[in-house]
Amino acid sequence: MRHDMQSPRRMIESSFMDAGADGSAQVDKELIAALGKIVGDGGLVSRLSELKVYECDGWTIEKSAPDLIVMPRSTEQTSAVLRTLWDRGIAFVPRGAGTGLSGGALPVNAPVMICTSRMNRIIAVDSADRRAVVESGVVNLRVSDAAREHGLFYAPDPSSQQACTIGGNIAENSGGPHTLKYGVTTNHVLGITLVLPDGEIVELGGAAEELCGYDLVGAVVGAEGTVGIVTRAILRLIRTPQAHRTFLVTFEDVESATRAVSAIIASGIVPGAIEMMDQLIVHAVEDAFHVGLPASAGAVLIVELDGLAAALDDQARTIAAIARGAGATEVRLAASDAERGALWKARKRAFGAVGRLAPNYATQDGVVPRTRLPDILRVINEVSGKYQLAIGNVFHAGDGNIHPIILYDERIPEQVRGAIDAGREILAACVAMGGSLTGEHGIGVEKQGEMPLLFSPGDLIAMAELRHVFDPAERSNPNKIIPSAGSCVEVAAPHRQVPI
Amino acid sequence: MTISTEIAHRVESLIGRDRVRAPSGRETRAAQLIAEPETQEEIGEIVRMCEANRSSIVAIGSARTLGAIRRAPADLGISLARMTRVIAYEPADMTVAVQAGITIGELNAVTSPSGQRVALDPLNPGLATIGATIAAHHAGPLRLSEGTARDLLIGIGFVGHDGRAVRGGGRVVKNVAGYDLMKVMGGSFGTLGIITEAVLKLRPVPAVYAIATKECTSASDAFADAAALNDAAPLAHLEVTSPAPSEAIGLAPKFTLLAGISGTATEIEYLRETVAKTLGAACQFHARDSADQLYARLRDLESFEGLVAQVATPPSALAAFLIEGGVEFRAHAGCGVAQLYSRELSPERQLETAKIMRLRARACDGYLRVLRADPEIAGEMDFFDTPSSGALTLMRRMKGAFDPNGIFNPGCFVDGI
Ligand SMILES: Cc1cc2nc3c(=O)[nH]c(=O)nc-3n(C[C@H](O)[C@H](O)[C@H](O)COP(=O)(O)OP(=O)(O)OC[C@H]3O[C@@H](n4cnc5c(N)ncnc54)[C@H](O)[C@@H]3O)c2cc1C
Repeated sequence: MRHDMQSPRRMIESSFMDAGADGSAQVDKELIAALGKIVGDGGLVSRLSELKVYECDGWTIEKSAPDLIVMPRSTEQTSAVLRTLWDRGIAFVPRGAGTGLSGGALPVNAPVMICTSRMNRIIAVDSADRRAVVESGVVNLRVSDAAREHGLFYAPDPSSQQACTIGGNIAENSGGPHTLKYGVTTNHVLGITLVLPDGEIVELGGAAEELCGYDLVGAVVGAEGTVGIVTRAILRLIRTPQAHRTFLVTFEDVESATRAVSAIIASGIVPGAIEMMDQLIVHAVEDAFHVGLPASAGAVLIVELDGLAAALDDQARTIAAIARGAGATEVRLAASDAERGALWKARKRAFGAVGRLAPNYATQDGVVPRTRLPDILRVINEVSGKYQLAIGNVFHAGDGNIHPIILYDERIPEQVRGAIDAGREILAACVAMGGSLTGEHGIGVEKQGEMPLLFSPGDLIAMAELRHVFDPAERSNPNKIIPSAGSCVEVAAPHRQVPI
Repeated sequence: MTISTEIAHRVESLIGRDRVRAPSGRETRAAQLIAEPETQEEIGEIVRMCEANRSSIVAIGSARTLGAIRRAPADLGISLARMTRVIAYEPADMTVAVQAGITIGELNAVTSPSGQRVALDPLNPGLATIGATIAAHHAGPLRLSEGTARDLLIGIGFVGHDGRAVRGGGRVVKNVAGYDLMKVMGGSFGTLGIITEAVLKLRPVPAVYAIATKECTSASDAFADAAALNDAAPLAHLEVTSPAPSEAIGLAPKFTLLAGISGTATEIEYLRETVAKTLGAACQFHARDSADQLYARLRDLESFEGLVAQVATPPSALAAFLIEGGVEFRAHAGCGVAQLYSRELSPERQLETAKIMRLRARACDGYLRVLRADPEIAGEMDFFDTPSSGALTLMRRMKGAFDPNGIFNPGCFVDGI
């Protein structure tokens, strides 16, 4: 299929459905035996029924099970596995926990999946240097758990942090509610052990803060698994703030809530987090978890201040005044750690709660400059009306990172089509407002077709050249991120996801 | 006709006579001829011309960095002195898009009325262009609390090989669309292309700033205090200076700890108490104008005569490195980074000293970059460390991919890239 990078409306079309044929031909008994020797029989999955479990990540529209899954236990095993595949010309797809939302871990022309689940050791927590050295299969939350006794934490906190891995976070450059103040994954990764597609092990960066040569660590973070397998990382840890003040602020409508967001940002106070939920989400969360969210609210904000205990009361007063000035009907301060915990639990499980509202839902991830939040929410509202589909909003408001959740029923073809088109219209509006196609979920296979909205052919060529520095033969996670002739599947259903 | 006059004619024909000139001052060591283009397109044409001619080309801010480390001047210097515009500034978004020739000082003058700043404080922000700060990864005391250009850069535009204009990132604070070209260009010392535009996150200017100083009897005392202080409170910056730099910034010639604190009036009050409690009675506070002036002198600490280098180690290893090193220094204590001043004047001894310090840095998982040495030995000095062989192979491929004709600041980066 010929591909036209200039055409923004091009659908993601794919030939990977017929890749299975040549792919499976490549995985034969000899290969399985060779890999088994490296990782042991317990490190391979080849039974069809078990492979099915890995046929998609959190982007469930397209499914394609790998022919073989390999689970190395170490960098050395990973290297030997990739070398074996390299010698046979076989492509692979890396996978952490499979919580990705853009099809990053979906096998496309990649018969073998490399799972990091058995590389899950925290190697060291160094409180003097404020560093953690971890294997890439370590689950995000475990890093903060291990650092807690030293008064430290790992700042990037995706809502999926109980399941997602550091390797997946590095690949997607993941964020979370608290990245507003502390930065995303790339700001917290100092060193990486990378196994290149030909099996070579390279150490990039280190525990020091200055670079020696090009910033290859920075190039690997956010590369969505297309440059080899990350097996280890040196992470920066942050001092746990002395104190928190967490507010639940209620508004009659989303406009006043977004006004409050802009005003808070403009005030010069940098909160730890500013998260928004609209009426639809508030109801869903309240029905599911009964945390006492105001049923009558048009929108709520969770605003969290952190820092020196001595200063927080002043700041809290300022925030409360700003919120009231923007039209808040109630400003409630979490009275205890338990209350604060409940608020965050509700926020982080909001996606799960939405599952009760409609048979299916599709979550989008877009970004606008913070001042354009009212405009994009208006667009979302219009799009919702145009396609007759309910859309809920729960998102990282302080960063301008929206997550509209489009509800639909996959049994009704017009709704399916409408959900796809609605998502695209919202993304196009984000870009038109000076924003981006994705703030944290990545391009994967989902948004390859939209990349030309944001980047010129020349930009995309430069990016492809960067990828080829690491993976000239495109063996690691082929056909992702950059639209190309090989990455072609008609998107037949919108983006759904499995609540976790 | 010399090579440079021939190039001069060609560049003049591309962008006009009035915008091609001879280098002056520090520029003379960076390039033989200076062009002052006004647009990305003009730079693109110049790059194509240089590629066709195999002429070397370097981007020049104030030429402080390259002027000190280029072995021989490049054929052509691109000064961005005419590309200093603020392209877009929306205070409420706390982001700013600029042309790369603007200096940090100029940019801060634009943003400070809104209570915002670009929180980068390399040596002399009035001279440091945004482009050079990104390309050479320059940073100052504030790196402890605000990070470096690596953390604040959210979008980039550059002219690469074939004169093509490339953009990466965007104008929003959170964005993972596509590969991270900001990281590719950051710290690349102009070896991959000419940075023409940058988009940066801005930070609020703190309401109050103060600085605590403490004279210490030894370097180890100073670092012990610094470590305790860094654990006790979130600081704006944290330095330890050896006697000569202490004196140069107007303090007594002693090992000195300098801790910046910033925030609201209430925060400052709390921080002052904590700092005083941790450092004891010997510490002294400087507020308002005197704090601002001391901070500026600390930030702009001019290099001494002799060899100047920067070391980066894991933070806890820095003290031992410096205590045993026997050279003067300004250390960013919480970050594991320090500038070293060996006032050794003999070129041979400078080479020797650099070699020894580098071995010692490597021994504690650190790196050493030479920032300045006697021009006479520029040809022999290894200004950069050599990365591990695997990483180096990737870097060579990176150079080959982005600069296939080898014209961008050749021979001036790690391992002669
Ligand atoms: C309910 C829910 C909430 C979420 N909330 C957030 C959020 O708040 N913020 C956010 O940013 N994301 C969020 N996500 C998305 C997802 O959790 C993140 O993208 C996460 O980083 C993926 O990690 P994973 O281990 O599941 O990776 P996977 O999904 O397994 O893989 C993701 C990508 O990483 C690659 N990869 C994985 N491991 C490696 C490795 N070791 N080396 C090289 N490449 C590798 C894969 O090939 C793939 O391209 C959410 C997802 C869900 C389901």
